Amino acid sequence: MAAKIQDIDEAPSLPITGAAYLPGVAYDEMIAKGGDVREHYAALQNRISRLSADELADRQRMLERSFLLQGITFTVYGAESATERIIPTDLFPRILPAKEWAKIESGLTQRLQALNMFLADIYGEQQILMDGVVPRELVLGAPSYRREMQNLYVPHKAYANVCGSDLIRGQDGEFAVLEDNLRVPSGVSYMLANRDAAKRTFPSAYREAGVRPVERYPDLLLATLKSMAADWLSNPQVVVLTPGVYNSAYYEHAYLARLMGVPLVEGRDLVVHDNMVYMRTTTGLRRVDVIYRRVDDDFVDPLTFRRDSSLGAAGLFNAYRAGNVVMCNAPGTGVADDKAVYAFVPDIIRYYLGEDPILPNIETYLCREPAQLSHVLANLDKLVVKAVGASGGYGMLVGPHASARERAEFAEALKADPANYIAQPTIQLSTAPCLIDGRIEPRHVDLRPFILSGEKTVVTPGALTRVALKRGSLVVNSSQGGGSKDTWVLAEENGHHNGGTGHDAR
Amino acid sequence: MMLARVADSLYWLGRYIERAEHLSRLSTVMLNATLDQTDTGAQAVRIALSAVGETESRIGPFEAARGLVLDKGDPNSVFSSLARARENARQVRDQITTETWERLNLLYLKVMDRNADRDFADNSVNFLHDIIADVHLFKGAADATMSHGESWRFMMLGMYLERAQLIAGLLEACFTEGHGREINDHLALVAVLRMGCALEPYLRVYTAEIEPRHILEFMVFDEDFPRSIRFATAQIEKHLSELARHVEATGRAAPERLAGRLKARLEFADVDELESHGAAGLLTTVANECARIHEAIYETFVAYPLELRLPA
Repeated sequence: MAAKIQDIDEAPSLPITGAAYLPGVAYDEMIAKGGDVREHYAALQNRISRLSADELADRQRMLERSFLLQGITFTVYGAESATERIIPTDLFPRILPAKEWAKIESGLTQRLQALNMFLADIYGEQQILMDGVVPRELVLGAPSYRREMQNLYVPHKAYANVCGSDLIRGQDGEFAVLEDNLRVPSGVSYMLANRDAAKRTFPSAYREAGVRPVERYPDLLLATLKSMAADWLSNPQVVVLTPGVYNSAYYEHAYLARLMGVPLVEGRDLVVHDNMVYMRTTTGLRRVDVIYRRVDDDFVDPLTFRRDSSLGAAGLFNAYRAGNVVMCNAPGTGVADDKAVYAFVPDIIRYYLGEDPILPNIETYLCREPAQLSHVLANLDKLVVKAVGASGGYGMLVGPHASARERAEFAEALKADPANYIAQPTIQLSTAPCLIDGRIEPRHVDLRPFILSGEKTVVTPGALTRVALKRGSLVVNSSQGGGSKDTWVLAEENGHHNGGTGHDAR
Repeated sequence: MMLARVADSLYWLGRYIERAEHLSRLSTVMLNATLDQTDTGAQAVRIALSAVGETESRIGPFEAARGLVLDKGDPNSVFSSLARARENARQVRDQITTETWERLNLLYLKVMDRNADRDFADNSVNFLHDIIADVHLFKGAADATMSHGESWRFMMLGMYLERAQLIAGLLEACFTEGHGREINDHLALVAVLRMGCALEPYLRVYTAEIEPRHILEFMVFDEDFPRSIRFATAQIEKHLSELARHVEATGRAAPERLAGRLKARLEFADVDELESHGAAGLLTTVANECARIHEAIYETFVAYPLELRLPA
């Protein structure tokens, strides 16, 4: 590996320079195949290589301290006491050049447009089912399909107003969509908090690289939410609905409400009367027009969905049906990010837009098809198998990393309920440099950008990069020991940006 | 306009912060007083414990102070107050500024720290000094960075109500019958003033002639001292009048009227009346009226019956 070794004499005791960074077989975000640093990483790599292990550790500590102080934490309830932990965060940003981002941006816009058209169709005429493009039972039988949404007017056909898609980069260096999240995607506050921290951690590298800002997300979100009521109200009252302070994403709910300047409400703050939604304020009841709800479909209204839910408000859905309030995202969007429907998204894009998908899917086997099931069973050691209804890295088998016994157990579950599973080849996710126990090591990462869709569709030029902190692990979910890092989307290929004085473009 | 639940949380945030500060001060004065090998120490311990409702103590002053400060099982300890203050702040994180939140979060992390017990044992007076200073930073950050609108007023309301009750409780423990013998020792009286954070302002008014009569006059009736009951009551009345302006009155308990009445009572009473009738009567009135104001706040702003507030 043609690594940078010039620092070795100066800092012999510190195994921190490029020399120690050895990417494996996966595509590495920083180091190209030949061992050279990719051009868009040059500024950062240059900065890192001039920092000692102690300095890096200091910056990492500073970063963690600032997260703790801001309260970006989740609570771990132990036997005796509760302790607060920060979400593991890595100090090195992941960098994407402008050209790669342009493709991601257009691919995600295309995909969300098609999925929103799909939802409008499914909850309307169901033309796509009649044309046999997607199997009828797959859609109407999905647990996330909401009959209650049938024939309901949704402005701009924007069912999913906030979408967080998970992209991965395979060994060939190409991005593909692993999953769409159209229900209540979270993580955007970490994108913003990571950015804030990265600016303080590597200010000069940040300026030199020419990074596109993500800080407009809150006002774009507010504009998107308001556009959902713009038909009949010029200045609608927007609120964020949270399950409450014990929810693991509570920090994010409060963060977004604060930055949008709108009330953060809980179900118990809402009252529905005559199909109108009100919140209890100190001066009486006030109308609510748009609810950015961070409560799952099942819990928004005990009268319509789960009766044991105390997180929503009784009568909310009827008020929604009556057109007196908007819920974002609309209930029932989950049918478009169902893991089985996923396999048909390329067809869905072609069907509605007449275009080929810009971002490919991962090859997916539907175990409901007998032929595909037997293929999956025969190749369990090579595949990743996922339960259709599960998320967060649960109910999942990573074939190559599982023991023979785990695979045998999973095979039984598969045979018992094949329709509940899909399988995909095991992808070597790309790797990015992370600071692990004082050393810079490659770890697998994915990419979750955020797309807003109301009157317009906007992709924020940035993302949450999730990291599998365990060596070799391919599971990035925070519930499974994953962390995150900032994502820099560069303004131009050569990094000129922000009216800077311009530096040498080689 | 703000959510009723949010107002409730901000109100309690104010109360808990004030309680944490007061308890820290009682503890530190108590510990300081016991350094002198005189009768003063014992008196200070008795006053402090009696002010927080504990009549007798079989444990030493250090253990008692540690209990007041760090006992996680005691809902009234400094630890519990700060934990609850922060919990309330977390519930309304979108309503308070980052500057304010960070001060409180730091304080909480300090008492939560697994070394807190050791730090307290090593140098309890320093430990408590830092807590009180941090509470002041919190209050300063709130004052300097939050809009002085509804959110802030509810927090102030909680703070001043709590303060009026705590000071009334302290004076009751010192100057009413049924709380042991009369305090006449100079150093013990100084300790009382310290517990009310009143020593230096008192000296400017009355010089170093420290007498129970003057202490009562100062801590109950002084117009300008921010920890006098009269001052706190005036603040309560002011914030309530502002808050109530936007509430359409329909058979409600009108907390601002209750506060106005208490304020007037304190404006027109004087220390001679206290001396002739004993302080107990007035102090009990203060405590009872504060409790009624608290209930009225709930009925007016937080737990009002919905039927009365539905749009026509």
